[in-house]
Amino acid sequence: MRPSARRNTRLIRGIDPEAAFPAGLPWLRYGYRAAAILLAGLLTLIRSAGVPAAVPGSVPSASVTITVHSADGRPVPGAVITVRSLAADARPSAPIKAVMDQINRAFDPDLLVIPVGSTVDFPNSDTVSHQIYSFSPAKRFTLPLYRGNPNPPVRFDQPGVVTLGCNIHDEMVGYLVVTDAQYFGRTDASGSWTADIARGKYRVAVWHPRMNDDANELERELTVAAGDRVTHELRLTKPLRPAPLSPHPHSWDGY
Amino acid sequence: MKPLAALIAVGMGLTCSAHATDWEVDLDMRLLSSDGQRSYLDGGTGALRYGENQSGLQLGRLRLALDQNIGELWSVHLDASSWGEHDKNPIDLTEAYLLFRPYPFDGLRARIKAGAFYAPISLENRGPGWESPYTLTPSALNTWVGEELRTIGLEGQIDWLGTRTGHLFDVGLTGAVYGWNEPAGVALASQGFMLEDRQTTLFGRVNPTPGLNDPREVFHEIDGRAGVYAGIEGRFLDRLVVRALRYDNRSDPTQQDGVTHIFAWLTTFNSAGARLESGNGWTGIAQWLQGETTISPHSHRLGYPFDAKFLLISKQIGRHTFSARYDRFEVLTHFVTPTGDDYAQYGHAWTLAYLFEPNAHWRFALEWLDVSTESALREAILPSEELSRERKIEASFRYALGSAVR
Repeated sequence: MRPSARRNTRLIRGIDPEAAFPAGLPWLRYGYRAAAILLAGLLTLIRSAGVPAAVPGSVPSASVTITVHSADGRPVPGAVITVRSLAADARPSAPIKAVMDQINRAFDPDLLVIPVGSTVDFPNSDTVSHQIYSFSPAKRFTLPLYRGNPNPPVRFDQPGVVTLGCNIHDEMVGYLVVTDAQYFGRTDASGSWTADIARGKYRVAVWHPRMNDDANELERELTVAAGDRVTHELRLTKPLRPAPLSPHPHSWDGY
Repeated sequence: MKPLAALIAVGMGLTCSAHATDWEVDLDMRLLSSDGQRSYLDGGTGALRYGENQSGLQLGRLRLALDQNIGELWSVHLDASSWGEHDKNPIDLTEAYLLFRPYPFDGLRARIKAGAFYAPISLENRGPGWESPYTLTPSALNTWVGEELRTIGLEGQIDWLGTRTGHLFDVGLTGAVYGWNEPAGVALASQGFMLEDRQTTLFGRVNPTPGLNDPREVFHEIDGRAGVYAGIEGRFLDRLVVRALRYDNRSDPTQQDGVTHIFAWLTTFNSAGARLESGNGWTGIAQWLQGETTISPHSHRLGYPFDAKFLLISKQIGRHTFSARYDRFEVLTHFVTPTGDDYAQYGHAWTLAYLFEPNAHWRFALEWLDVSTESALREAILPSEELSRERKIEASFRYALGSAVR
């Protein structure tokens, strides 16, 4: 986030104001500098907030906080929240380029949320070879046995959950949540996620790799009015499945 | 020039395929104190790997392993070890097989193994080289598996990967056809169960005559009949594994090998077990095996029903693992032994072990083992030694090196 913001600032600063605005128009020159600094600051703010680039600056918005709690009332960190507009002309968030590495026989990160049309790079930073497969309906693919990063990025065009595995190391599991929502993210340690959301009607959905609930049954409608500070609670009805055991220290379970 | 060209070609081939090669070398040295009898492996009747005569510094194991991928879906696995004993070969293979693993399709995954490898019986020998991450010495049950059983043939496995498709469990089915396993059972009948970690190598030997140091090769084809086994495995998330297997080597017990003079032992058994792991480092393993091994020399049927079980509890705290295990085992006879008994061996054992792995390369272990056996066979040789209690305390220092070590 930050390096790209710096790049934008440098780009704007990189334009020579003397050349762009000849002598005789000093006010315009200073006005340009002020506008450039303001724009750079705004870009940095938007990016550091972790909100996708779909936030329309000109549309009135509200700060929306979604909290996810388990059936016994405890916060659920790491839950995927998607907020999809019900407007007929709503467009999904812009595609991104994401990276899911493989480190110490585990996908890193083990879950990514990406807009439809995004591409994901799957480098392998381990000393052992990996071989990725998915037989999820949203995207069926395989990456042949490899180390390093010899494969082109994989494009994900269908919304849905893509479960990834390694054909050699059974314990490796990764997830890609491909979404056509305008806003998305994951809950923090306190089980909450906050974003500035433009006014309108939305459908809020929650998903977690260890969730036993039917995700469709947990979907809720949400109306956002400008200037609001909305907190919306989603509560799972069934307990989460136990978390995976920490990876074993050696190459166990070849037998 | 031809050898040079060939060397360059081999070198290029290795370079091209080097990305898919994993290798490992482990050296495991032991320092031990034992009050046990001379080991069965050393020509005696003791149930431990090292008797009192072998206390001191010993080579636990020198292991060389190689995994080589061939193309996308095939791989070769070689595991060779030296156990520091005067076996026929100073270093020999414990496993050597070709593995075919096509990509999973719609939640179903197939695996085919061809060569020599372990049947999916043990729930404790889950580490590289078929070692246990809980103790130095496997249970009596799995000691026997390492001593006399090896699938030399073809094994197919099909798994339904439910946990990859939103379910809570996976189910797998295994079936195998194999040969070269007719002597399996001879060590049970001649010695009974032991608690030791030496695995018989593919060209290695066991002692068919108790008290007589005259080992013979155990992986031999005698009657030309293939053996079979079929098993099922269920896994609940990554917490619980449940296995059951039916084994029948389909030997003709009237046949005898012309070279080793070992009979074809008709060995059948059922095995079952479960391993439960908690999120906070606890592991519990229970395994049971019950069957019979029989020979029919000169139309006299000599049957040895056997039964072994154990319970292991282990707690991992960071890089430290503490384990305790209780074993019970027995080998009965369908006939009256020369000492007038109807059993070959009864026994039970306690094992306590502490393992510390400061990093992927080093492992330090300390194990205390106390095994009590009552052996009619031993009574026939050493009448005063029918009952025997053997104890040992053993320290292990293991260093692992290689691309497969992390």
